[in-house]
Amino acid sequence: MSEIITQDLLRACVGEWLAAGKSVAGPKQVSWNRVLYAHLEKPEELLLDLEAHPVNSIKEFFFPKHEKLYGYKIEGNDVRLMETAEALPEQVVLGGRPCDAAALPILDHVFNWDYKDSQYNARRAAATIVTIACTTHDDACFCSSVGLGPAAERGSDVILLPFGDGSYEVRCLTEKGKSLFAGKTTQSDKTAPVYAGPEHKIDPAKVGAFARDHFEDTFWKEQTLACLGCGVCACNCPTCHCFDIVDEGNAAGGYRARNWDSCQYPAFTQHASGHNPRGSQSNRQRQRVFHKFLIYPEKFGEVLCTGCGNCTRNCPAGLGILRIATEISHG
Amino acid sequence: MSDTSTFEPKIVAFVCNWCTYLGADLAGTSRLEYPANVRIVRLPCTGRIDFNLLIKAFEMQADAVLVSGCHPGDCHYTSGNFHARRRWMLFRDLLDLLGFDMRRIHFSWISAAEGHKFQQTIAEITQKTRELGPYKLYEGKPAAYPQFPESVMPLGDFSTEALLRETARKLLSEGTVQVVIGYGERGPIFVSKAEDADKLVWNRNCLTNLTAYLKRKEIKALGKAAIVVKGCDERALMVLEQESQIEREKLHVIGMACEGLGLPKCAGCNVRQPRFADEVIGEAKPAEPIDHYAALDVLMAMSSEERMGFWTEEFDRCQRCYACRQVCPLCYCEQCLVDKNRPQEIDTSPTRKGNFAWQITRAFHQAGRCVGCGECTRVCPAGIDLWALNLMLERSAEKNFDYKAGMEKSALTLIGSYSARDKEEFIR
Repeated sequence: MSEIITQDLLRACVGEWLAAGKSVAGPKQVSWNRVLYAHLEKPEELLLDLEAHPVNSIKEFFFPKHEKLYGYKIEGNDVRLMETAEALPEQVVLGGRPCDAAALPILDHVFNWDYKDSQYNARRAAATIVTIACTTHDDACFCSSVGLGPAAERGSDVILLPFGDGSYEVRCLTEKGKSLFAGKTTQSDKTAPVYAGPEHKIDPAKVGAFARDHFEDTFWKEQTLACLGCGVCACNCPTCHCFDIVDEGNAAGGYRARNWDSCQYPAFTQHASGHNPRGSQSNRQRQRVFHKFLIYPEKFGEVLCTGCGNCTRNCPAGLGILRIATEISHG
Repeated sequence: MSDTSTFEPKIVAFVCNWCTYLGADLAGTSRLEYPANVRIVRLPCTGRIDFNLLIKAFEMQADAVLVSGCHPGDCHYTSGNFHARRRWMLFRDLLDLLGFDMRRIHFSWISAAEGHKFQQTIAEITQKTRELGPYKLYEGKPAAYPQFPESVMPLGDFSTEALLRETARKLLSEGTVQVVIGYGERGPIFVSKAEDADKLVWNRNCLTNLTAYLKRKEIKALGKAAIVVKGCDERALMVLEQESQIEREKLHVIGMACEGLGLPKCAGCNVRQPRFADEVIGEAKPAEPIDHYAALDVLMAMSSEERMGFWTEEFDRCQRCYACRQVCPLCYCEQCLVDKNRPQEIDTSPTRKGNFAWQITRAFHQAGRCVGCGECTRVCPAGIDLWALNLMLERSAEKNFDYKAGMEKSALTLIGSYSARDKEEFIR
């Protein structure tokens, strides 16, 4: 026995959630050539049956690109600090892929291993993750190489498995998921087909081992000459989580905020003295591979990559983790 | 805004030290009264008045801005005001496209002898701004996405790949160059061995404007280079040469005749056949001309409020990944203004305010320089319509100064030159 929902009913649910004051995010056509995960205003905006992964990831709804931490006000010699956290509405993140959802438990480690990040945790607690399993994959996908797959359940509260006829099998994985879909589904004796994921493309352990032994190696320069040094890979990666802390305001008042940052920018490691320990782009690219396949795994026991392929798909210069990791795995 | 009677606008006046500031001084010593709403910022010359200062003033809650300097011909530094005039002309068009309220931006020439004119100008601006009410960042709903004209996306054939490989092999084996910057199967590649020449490809995925690599130190270190360019990319080379960023004779240019890569920018392309390359591979038929600016007309037909709504929606998606800057061959500053943090001139936060400041800065630094290769738009992960900003400045340069960047070898740079006859109807 399985629970089933059609696309029309799913859209109707989106309408209900929105009407109930929940914030709903999902894949949306934002310009003629781009689909992004974004907040939806109307149920019709939700794009289903996507062929390719949206350009960004769902991390944005838990770790926004710009987030106020606290405010300040200066009056004479008096400095006052103020809470800036706003009340969070309940949030449904719908239509993410298994590779997006799987990034959330990975980010949970980072935001909780030492300091417990209350804002991140509050957003996580307020959200229900409804993932749609994949039926296709493209050249950049490699989830199966990092232990995931087209119907991987990690990080999701609900997973929707497409039948291919405009309806889904609904598998509620948590209490949160169950209550979201309670009474919305119909029973059926069908179960959704399982789709084949991308073939095995890289060996993460081999990439990590190579990194450990080849800190100084011409490999990095050869492989990354084409890197132009933008932050497309980091901004759109579901697991990249580095941020910069800035003050916005003036001498009278303002707020402290965190913004996404990227190890690909020279200013990321620039010292006040002017010295930059990662002075070249190849060093910065190496850092990205190191963090994903060596540093994070040593600390948390798994790789910092879900194989979504965003960095590879969207790189202006045709680079990305997959290309470099493939060279190492098969080179 | 119910009580405009009690609203007192803040007006920031950026004035030059030699004329308008003295004009203001004269107004003072002559006991001419003018509203106390104006805050004067004295700078050496209007030529020094960075457009970022105008944006900054609005960011810091100015309700109107005045920029004022010496009359043409009176500049203490001979030509600062001529250069400024040219820049304002372009900048006004950009602000107009973005939906700024143009009634709040004023320009004037006020000499040291014109105390009266200073008094009158300030009085008028204050009165007008009082009527307009306080200036606010756009708070309305984003406008509906405009219906841009359908664009054809021509796609050429790419039968000259073998010839390209042959050319590269010859250049490398004869030692003419040490590296060929070209396209590989998955993106840009740098071929330094003749036997690797077959790694070069020529197909519809050859999108990157490779001239962006000429600024990178790791590429410069590879030695004398040959570079593969399409006609559109070649225009960037010409601007780089004009701006003394490359030594053209030390570069071997392989031009690829191109009848389109299947992108909107390829419609009506008038540089399908490279013109200044050391060698050109293939022959391209000219394209059907189209009205390049038709899409701008769609935006300009909207109200300024709607336009700002449109750009608000676009810029709100900006992630500050700076891909637009990094892929641009003409963004070659060693340190970008936005990366300067002592003091921080442009907000690095991807807020509405910060994104407007960044996008205006990026676009305007391309005024009269952008060659329309469209790379910024192609790589923007958020799909922001950056092309429209570039196109507006291109149209402004063409309309006002009959100038198109990267088309003529002997041309002076637009911003680096001026004419005493440049238009100035917008200046009081």
